[in-house]
Amino acid sequence: MEGLFTFAPAIVLFPLVAFAITLLVGRYLPLGGAIPGIVATGGSLALSLVMAAAVAGGETTNELVYTWFETPEITFHFGLLIDPLSAAMLVVVSLIAFLVHVFSLSYMNAEGETGLPRYYAGLGLFTFSMLAFVVADNLLMSFVFFELVGLCSFLLIGFWYRTKSAPSAAKKAFLVTRFGDFFFLIGVVAIAASYGTLSFAGDASFVTAAESAIDSETFFGFDADTWVTITGLLVLGGVIGKSAQFPLHTWLPDAMEGPTPVSALIHAATMVAAGVYLVARMFGYYALSPTALAVIAFVGGFTALFAATMGCVKDDVKQVLAYSTISQYGYMMLAMGVGGYVAGVFHLLNHAVFKALLFLGAGAVIIAMHHEQDMWKMGGLKEQMPVTYYSFLAGSLALAGIIPFSGFWSKDEVLYDALIVGLSEPLILAAYAMALLAVFFTGFYTIRMVRLTFHGEPRSEAAESPHAIGLPAKIPLAVLGVLALVGGAMNLKPLEELAGLEVAFLERWLDGQGVGSVDGLTYHAYSETVHYGHEYIGGPEGTVILSAALSLGLALAGAGLAWTLYSGPEPTRHTERLGSLRDLAVANYYQDEYQVWLARGLTLPLARASDRFDQTAIDGVVDGVGSVSRFGGERLRRLQTGQVTDYAALVILGVLALLVVLGINGGWFL
Amino acid sequence: MIELLLAVVFVGAAVTFLAPNRIAGKLAFAISLLPAGISLWMLTAFDGSGNALLSGGQLAFESQAEWFQVGEYAVSWFVGLDGISLPLVVLTTILTSLAILSSWTPIDERQSQFYGLVLFIEANLLGVFVALDFLLWFVFWEAVLIPMYFLIGVWGGPRRKYAAIKFFVYTNVASLVLFGAFVTLVFALGGDGGVSSFALPEITQAMHAGGIPDGTSLFGLGATELSAAIFVALFLGFAVKVPIVPFHTWLPDAHVEAPTPASVLLAGVLLKMGTYALLRFNFTMFPEQVETFAIPIAAIAVISVIYGAMLALAQTDLKRIVAYSSVSSMGYVILGLVAFTQFGIGGATFQMVSHGLISGLMFMAVGVVYNATHTRMVTDMSGITAKMPVASWIFVAGAFGYMGLPLMSGFYAEFSIFYGAFGSELLSYAPLFTGVAMFGIVIVAGYLLFAMQRTFFGPFALETDYELDRAPLHDVAPMLVLLALIVVLGVAPDTIFGMITDATDPIVAAYGGEAA
Amino acid sequence: MMAIEGYVLLSAGLFCIGLFGILTRRNALMFLMAVELMVNAAVINLVAFALYHGTLTGQVFGLFVLGLAAAEVAIGLGIILVLYRNFGTIDVSVPTTMRW
Repeated sequence: MEGLFTFAPAIVLFPLVAFAITLLVGRYLPLGGAIPGIVATGGSLALSLVMAAAVAGGETTNELVYTWFETPEITFHFGLLIDPLSAAMLVVVSLIAFLVHVFSLSYMNAEGETGLPRYYAGLGLFTFSMLAFVVADNLLMSFVFFELVGLCSFLLIGFWYRTKSAPSAAKKAFLVTRFGDFFFLIGVVAIAASYGTLSFAGDASFVTAAESAIDSETFFGFDADTWVTITGLLVLGGVIGKSAQFPLHTWLPDAMEGPTPVSALIHAATMVAAGVYLVARMFGYYALSPTALAVIAFVGGFTALFAATMGCVKDDVKQVLAYSTISQYGYMMLAMGVGGYVAGVFHLLNHAVFKALLFLGAGAVIIAMHHEQDMWKMGGLKEQMPVTYYSFLAGSLALAGIIPFSGFWSKDEVLYDALIVGLSEPLILAAYAMALLAVFFTGFYTIRMVRLTFHGEPRSEAAESPHAIGLPAKIPLAVLGVLALVGGAMNLKPLEELAGLEVAFLERWLDGQGVGSVDGLTYHAYSETVHYGHEYIGGPEGTVILSAALSLGLALAGAGLAWTLYSGPEPTRHTERLGSLRDLAVANYYQDEYQVWLARGLTLPLARASDRFDQTAIDGVVDGVGSVSRFGGERLRRLQTGQVTDYAALVILGVLALLVVLGINGGWFL
Repeated sequence: MIELLLAVVFVGAAVTFLAPNRIAGKLAFAISLLPAGISLWMLTAFDGSGNALLSGGQLAFESQAEWFQVGEYAVSWFVGLDGISLPLVVLTTILTSLAILSSWTPIDERQSQFYGLVLFIEANLLGVFVALDFLLWFVFWEAVLIPMYFLIGVWGGPRRKYAAIKFFVYTNVASLVLFGAFVTLVFALGGDGGVSSFALPEITQAMHAGGIPDGTSLFGLGATELSAAIFVALFLGFAVKVPIVPFHTWLPDAHVEAPTPASVLLAGVLLKMGTYALLRFNFTMFPEQVETFAIPIAAIAVISVIYGAMLALAQTDLKRIVAYSSVSSMGYVILGLVAFTQFGIGGATFQMVSHGLISGLMFMAVGVVYNATHTRMVTDMSGITAKMPVASWIFVAGAFGYMGLPLMSGFYAEFSIFYGAFGSELLSYAPLFTGVAMFGIVIVAGYLLFAMQRTFFGPFALETDYELDRAPLHDVAPMLVLLALIVVLGVAPDTIFGMITDATDPIVAAYGGEAA
Repeated sequence: MMAIEGYVLLSAGLFCIGLFGILTRRNALMFLMAVELMVNAAVINLVAFALYHGTLTGQVFGLFVLGLAAAEVAIGLGIILVLYRNFGTIDVSVPTTMRW
């Protein structure tokens, strides 16, 4: 490791140290142990910016840091891969972690929570794991920290462990993602066993190995390209679990049981992003498999629409945001699935910012509302908390995809990429159509949320006299609000297409043009591998305009509908007019029910049946052998009467029997 | 050196036995630190290489002396250590020390006898791992049962007699089978220029040099059938000890009735006797038969994993949950062994150590909860964390270790096994077996999370009316030590994994497998 | 010289009488006598076959058995005395406490 990158491990280690300090001596520190975390994440942020600058200066690193175990066959190790993608992600993760730490001073400390050292230790461990995941240079290391962020998520969702619901939600979150990780782990093992390497980058990466194996080798009885698809889909299991894609999305809404800053950090901006980030990280591998890409795209498009419809009928502000999160990750998956690597990453970064903003904004509202989360009990908060309102509004418009907020640019690029591929691929077109329809719903539920929360008349006592929020809450909101407004400037792709301006900065960044890059991990390398052809309606320019017009139009339509429907001081509950459709959406399409049934209605009775079988059949045989021996002994001992005469008679009989046997054998009787 | 190690423990056991009850616990703990120290010193001074039983293996701390003669066969005092046995020796000494510490609270009668027996178990366990002569090994193997029988039968729960007798008879019958099988093997290999002693290395090398001579006929079986029959009989004999489904039913009963420290030793080390013996005997001596029986063995390994986990899911007694999950974890060991690859066998051995630490920790944590609440039923408790935070969080940490959380030893063990098993060349359908077995990691998460949610989280409630106090230091300290070891092995598995694979690689290499 | 069959038949007859005594009598004294009869049947066999083979081993053996029988009677009577003292009878079907 050279130059600035010598300090790169510190980015990861700072939060670990903070975790250790808070865990051991947190209870003796002021502010419930918040300071080590703030300092550490601040340090990580600063160093991440340095790393980004280094990458901008044309450097990258791909270094081995620590070897778990090595043989000539394979090496299990931890390494550091800092390229444009991970550098960008590092900045975002450490920025949000830092802001969430600061915000927590208002949300947790000022509210007199107990167990704060545990809270900050959890945040520290989470930040450590997430950053380590981001810089991972191989799939095993990714898996390791993928699991660890799952643990932190469990601990933080279950932070209020004295309640009944929080531990249950924590359990569900871990279990559902574990189910996805089961496939992920098989994928890791399969990739390790077939290619002998787990590295993401370089000549010895599994991507390179797979590329050279295609058309020439078979693995475990499968052609190499089928095998790439199989293993790719196995790894995708973990992605679907962590990024809350259908059908493993059910844990995310429940995860809102955790403290709101945790929701912002983990369940919106970073951990949930881990899944999509993983797809981006090993995009070269997925690019080899058309089937895997199509699955990714379709799952993404479907999830985007599916979750958006549920978001429209929720009354709890955090639930709306939870479903919008699921929906937005669907867009990123769609982008990845259509080969829109840049669009996916762009939306990932933007979403991290504006969703963290929305959750922190919701957190501020919840503080103000004395921990009331039902939007129907809010209203009229606009005048009383302007900072929150305007930043929240910025985040909402970004989420809804209204020009010029950041979400518009990235979502538009996703849809554009999907459209040009979809014109020749019917399946992708279907995914595109679903995602496009979801834009309308997104606009609707976002504005509905803003309207109900901030506009109209206060609908409860709490809303009339909101609790004041402190400066530590306002600063993060303001910072993120500005970023949500200008974030789109990272990649103004339509302007580049239409006006020929060189403003697609992120595309060039991820492509390594003018900045550091790692061979094989660049946008054009991926584009060469992805097999999709592109078609246009009215040329590239026409398609850009058409796509942007469609998505903006639908977003505005949805937003406008919500704006009018929920206007006035006392808005009515319009969604109830949808009748059974609403019931279906409120019940989350019975997704929870069937998954709970799988656990409680199927697995548990099966387990009980096994237990009965074990106790009766298997143990029955064991005990049976014992009983038979005892019973036999009981009977046999009756031979021993204590009568000398009987013994003598037995001896005689024995001799006679012996004589007969010997006689028969000796042929005496013949 | 090994003689010193054993002598210290045997003498220590006798001394403790005679000591007054009042000081027996402290005395036993002090004594148990000696073997722990010696074994740790051995870890640093270890100079062996290769496998103890195979040619080219260099034993550490070897010593051999003639003992007596059975016909033409010599029996000797033959002890030594290699990379497989040394980690288990260290595990045994450390776990015994900690188990003694953790029994200060619950054991309140006949302490001197109790601690004397615990040390006596330790001595025999160490004997099992160091002995390299079959008869010597068998003496230790059997002698382990006696103190364990008394620990369960005297200090156990309400059904202790049933559990103790079941444990004793079941495992003893299994010992009979394996003894008969092994003696048959020795006699089949004996004769002109054949094996002339019960020394395991000699027997192993004879097996690798051609096995049972062609034309041998014993009990009407030819050489091939005889090898297969002996392999199966040995396997069954060890299967009870491991235990492998369907020979596992003594385990939950024994665990539930046993006092905490006995459970710790039972799960932590006694089960490893079975897997250790399987590795030493079946898998080292009979590679060809392993290949023949690979699919059935892999099948019961997978069944053990899934079925054991399903049984654990149905339990409401914390101890039964952990007991059944041991069945599940041992299934992974068998899967790793039968894969017959570097990472498979190495990972299986690593899992023995790792599971010893983790299950020991879990049983201690359950014990601490039980000491305070006098119940182990998940349904009787709720929100214990509020009253006993330290013990509860340690339980949670241990449970995540059990689930194979990365950076704890269980993950590395399981990952090695999975990786080793997936690419196995000896086992057909290896990816399928591995994939199904891996589903165990989901079920284990299911039942442990379920148990934790019910027991430790939620609003506080307790069916029994005991005052909950914070656990004393001598209850918590051993758990923290174990947790630290688990994390250290998880972060830096190479501390022992290199040593282990150094000893297990020759097993794979000797059968034409790829050597490292 | 008589044929060997005669001696053997005598011996067999004596043995069967002794056996009959053991199987039917309950008085310990009668038991003892029956045992003596069976011992003597064996001795006759030994002596007869010794004569038949022309060796002395069997006869010496016979003498030994006589000596042993004397000792045995002494011990047997002693046992009977103890029986009588403990159970008040010399009926062998009464004392059954020695089983299991």
